[in-house]
Amino acid sequence: MPLLLAGIATLVFVISRLTPADPLVSIVGERNLNNPEVVAAAKAQWGLDQSVFVQYVKYMKNLLHGDMGTSFTTRQPVTSDLLDRLPATLELVICALILGVSVGVSLGILAARHRGSIIDGIARFFALLGASLPAFWAGLVLLYVFYAQLGWLPGPGRLDTRDTPPSRITGFYTVDSLLHGDISTFGNAVRHLILPATVLGLGVVGIVTRLVRASLLDEFSLEYVRVARAMGLRERTVVNNHALRNALLPTITIVAFTFAFLITGAVLTETVFSWPGVGNYAVEASRRLDYPAIIGVTILGGIAFLLTNLVSDVAYAFADPRIRLS
Amino acid sequence: MVHRLGSFARPRVLRRVVTIGVATALVLAACGSDNKSNSSSTAAPGGTAGGGGSDKSLVIARQMDVNSLDPSRAYCDTCQIFMTAVYETLIGLDTDNKTLVPRLATSWEANDAQTEFTFHLDPKAKFADGSPVTSADVKFSWERLKGLQGAASYLVSTVQTIDTPDPETVKVTMSQPNSAFLAQVNASYLGIVNSKVAQAQGATADPATDKAETWFLSNSAGSGPFELADYTQGNELRFKRNDNYWGTKSQFPEVIIKETAEAATQRQQLEQGAVDIAMQISNDVAQGMGGSDVTVNPVPSFNYVYLALSPGAVGGDALKKAEVRQAIRLALDYDGLVNVTVGGAGKSQPSPIPNGFAGTDGLAPPKQDVNKAKDLLSQAGETNLTFDATYPTFNVYGVDFSTAMQKVQTDLKAVGIELKLNPVEISVWADKIGKDGIPVTMLYFAPDHTDSSQYVQYFGLLPGSQWQTWAKVDENKDETDLLNQAFAAKDDTSRAKLYNQLAQMMIDDQIIIPVVNPNLFLASRSDIKGMHYSACCNLDLSRLSRG
Repeated sequence: MPLLLAGIATLVFVISRLTPADPLVSIVGERNLNNPEVVAAAKAQWGLDQSVFVQYVKYMKNLLHGDMGTSFTTRQPVTSDLLDRLPATLELVICALILGVSVGVSLGILAARHRGSIIDGIARFFALLGASLPAFWAGLVLLYVFYAQLGWLPGPGRLDTRDTPPSRITGFYTVDSLLHGDISTFGNAVRHLILPATVLGLGVVGIVTRLVRASLLDEFSLEYVRVARAMGLRERTVVNNHALRNALLPTITIVAFTFAFLITGAVLTETVFSWPGVGNYAVEASRRLDYPAIIGVTILGGIAFLLTNLVSDVAYAFADPRIRLS
Repeated sequence: MVHRLGSFARPRVLRRVVTIGVATALVLAACGSDNKSNSSSTAAPGGTAGGGGSDKSLVIARQMDVNSLDPSRAYCDTCQIFMTAVYETLIGLDTDNKTLVPRLATSWEANDAQTEFTFHLDPKAKFADGSPVTSADVKFSWERLKGLQGAASYLVSTVQTIDTPDPETVKVTMSQPNSAFLAQVNASYLGIVNSKVAQAQGATADPATDKAETWFLSNSAGSGPFELADYTQGNELRFKRNDNYWGTKSQFPEVIIKETAEAATQRQQLEQGAVDIAMQISNDVAQGMGGSDVTVNPVPSFNYVYLALSPGAVGGDALKKAEVRQAIRLALDYDGLVNVTVGGAGKSQPSPIPNGFAGTDGLAPPKQDVNKAKDLLSQAGETNLTFDATYPTFNVYGVDFSTAMQKVQTDLKAVGIELKLNPVEISVWADKIGKDGIPVTMLYFAPDHTDSSQYVQYFGLLPGSQWQTWAKVDENKDETDLLNQAFAAKDDTSRAKLYNQLAQMMIDDQIIIPVVNPNLFLASRSDIKGMHYSACCNLDLSRLSRG
C-alpha cells in the first residue's frame, strides 16, 4: 500500500509539474505577476524557486512523515484541510449510498420478479434516469422546486445559514448534534442532507437496480432456486432469503467502489449545494493549480479505493461462506 | 445451500432496526425543524437592544476568493470586505466614493513636495483587546506589509521610513513624491494590526522569520467594528461584533458570509430569507427580482472588463502597426457589447481610467466605425489577419468572458480579422502570457483605492508595468514623465489635468480597450439599510443595519 501511494503521489506530482500553467497566479494574483519582488517572495515562501527534482525529493520526504505540504489556497496543512472536509463528504456519501442502495435493490428485485412486465419497464426507466441525469442539472432543478418554489426543504449548505455548527467531535453534524443532545441542529442537519443525498444517490440507484436485476435473473435460473420453489417456499422467501443473497455479491463490489469514487467524486453535487467537502476542495485546488492540495486529494482517493477494496473483500467473506472457508 | 435456508431471522431483525432508525431520525428531524423555525425568529444571544429582529445575524451570500486573512498578505475582493470590517485604516472614504474622511487618524498633512506625510491618531482609538492604537502599531503594520512582499505591498512600495515621534503621531517619508499616498492609505489593505498581539504570534516583517499567517486564519487583532470568529475555505467567513469597539457599535452580533457559487442560488436564498444580502447577482439573474421582501438596485461601479492587444506577443506582429490596433478599436460595437454581456446594465468607457476617477472628464466615448476600420487595415496592407485570442474562463461582475469574446470575434470578423478563441483556466493563461504573450486577450480590473495613478501604473507603458511587460512593447517616456508630475502635484485640479492627458495617451497606445463597465446589483432583503458599493472597500459592514 505505501508503495502504491508513493507511486500515485509521484505520478500526480509529475503530471501537475508538466502542465503548462503558472500556480503563482493563485498565490500573488494576476496583478502582481510582473512584480519581481512579490514573485520572488512568493516563490521562496512556497519553494517554487527550487528545481522540480528538489521539490519532489522534499515533498516525498515530508510525505513519509505524513506531511502533505501546505495548500496555496487555504494556507493550511493539506492533511488538516482534508481531515476537516472528510466528515462532510462521508456524511453525504453514506446517506446517498443508504438511499441509493435501498431504493436500487428494491427496484432491482421488483424488476426481476416481474420481468417483462410494466413494473419491470418502470423500474428500468428509473434506473436509466438515475444513471443518466447530470448531477449539476438535477441539483439545480431539485433546489428550484423543493427549496425555492415549494419551500419544503432547506437550501444549500449543511445547516441553515444562521445556525452555528455543533462543537466538533466526529465532524458529522448529525452525530455531533445528537452527542450534544441538540435535537434542533440534528433535525436541521438531516433536512439539509435530503436533497444532496438524493442527487448523489440517483446515480447509485441506476447502477444498483440494473445490477441486482441482472444478477437475480441469473440466480433464478439456477438449481437451488428451483429446488426452493419445488419445496413449496413462498416466492418472497425464495427471492429475499435465497436468491438475493447470492445476487448481492457483485453489488457489494460495485457499492464499495462507488463509495470510494464518491469520496473525491461528489464534485458537482458539493458545488451546487455549497457542501464544504472534499469534492469542493478538489475543484478549488484544480482551479488554482494548488499542487499540494491536488496531490493530497489524489492520495486520499487512492487510500479510499484501497480501503474499500479491503472492506469489500471482508464483506464478500461474510456474504459468501465459500470464500470464508477457502 | 443449507446455510442459505437457515438464515431467515437476521434480515428481518436488521430491517426492523433500520426502519425504526429511519423513522426516529425523520421524527427528530421534523421536531428539529419546528424548533429551529421557532428559534430563528427569536433574538440571538449577545445582541444589542432593538426591535424588529435587529439583533439577528446578518448573512451574506457570496462566492469568496480569499487568498489569506493575514492583513499583510490578503488581496482579493472578499479580503477588502474582511479588512474593512476588522482592521481599520487611518483614513476612511465617504459615501460619495471620493472624499477622504478621518478614521483612526483625526487629521493629516503632506509637505509641498508630496514626500512627507504626517498623521495624527485619534487618542480614543483602541483595539479589540482594549489596548490603544499607537503610532508603533502603524509602523509595524506598514513595515510588515512592505517587508512580506504580499500582493498588496505595492501600495507601500514608495514608503522609505516611518517615524513615530510620539504614540499619536506617524510621520512617513517617501522615496519619491507620491500625491496618491493618502488614497493608498485609504485602501483596505493598509489596515492597522495590534503589533503586540501579532508579534506574540510570531509576526515579523521578514518573510523568512514570519510565522503568523496560520494564526491570522482563525484569529484577528484589529480595531474594527468586527473580529474574525471563524473561517472555513469553501464554506463560510464568520465575524463577531467587537463589543469593545471605540466607535459606533454594529447592530449585528454576528455577520456570516456564506460561500454560494451560483448567482441563481444566491437569488433563491435571498428570496427565501435564508440570506440578507446576495452580492453577485448578475443582470440575467436579477430579471424579475424585487417585490416587497427583496430590494434590487443597479448602481454604477468602477469595475470593468477590457480587451488587451499585445504587439510583442508571438503571432502578434501585425499589431505593431498602430493602424491595425486602431482598426480593432473602431471595429468594436460598444453598445452591442454592453447589451450582449450585461443586457444593457452598464456602460462603455473610453480609457483604462474608469469614468468618475480624476482625469476622465471630457474624454470622447468610444464609437464603432467599421468603414474607417477597413480603410485603416487597407492602408496598413493587412487584409487577412488571424490572431490567437486565449482568455481566462472568467465570469466576473456578471460578464461572461466567453460571451464577450464571441461578440468581439463577430465584430472583428466584419472588418476581416479572424480571432481564434481559446478559453483556458487562469493558471494556463498566466503561464502563456508570461512566456510567449497573447496577441488578443481579455481581463478585468477593480480598484484598490481612489487615485487614478493605479491605472497608469498598471496599464500605462511605464518601464516594468504589468501591461508594458505583457504586451512586450517599448516604454512610453511621456507617460512616465506625466505620472511623475502627477505624483508631485499638490492640488487636485492640476493632478486631474495630468491624469486627463495620461488617459488620452493610454487611449492612443491602443493596448487596452475597455469593453464594458457593468453595473453592480445591490440585492438585499428590504429590511436591510445602508447597502452601498465602496470604491475602496467593496462593502463596509459597519454601515449596514436592519430595521
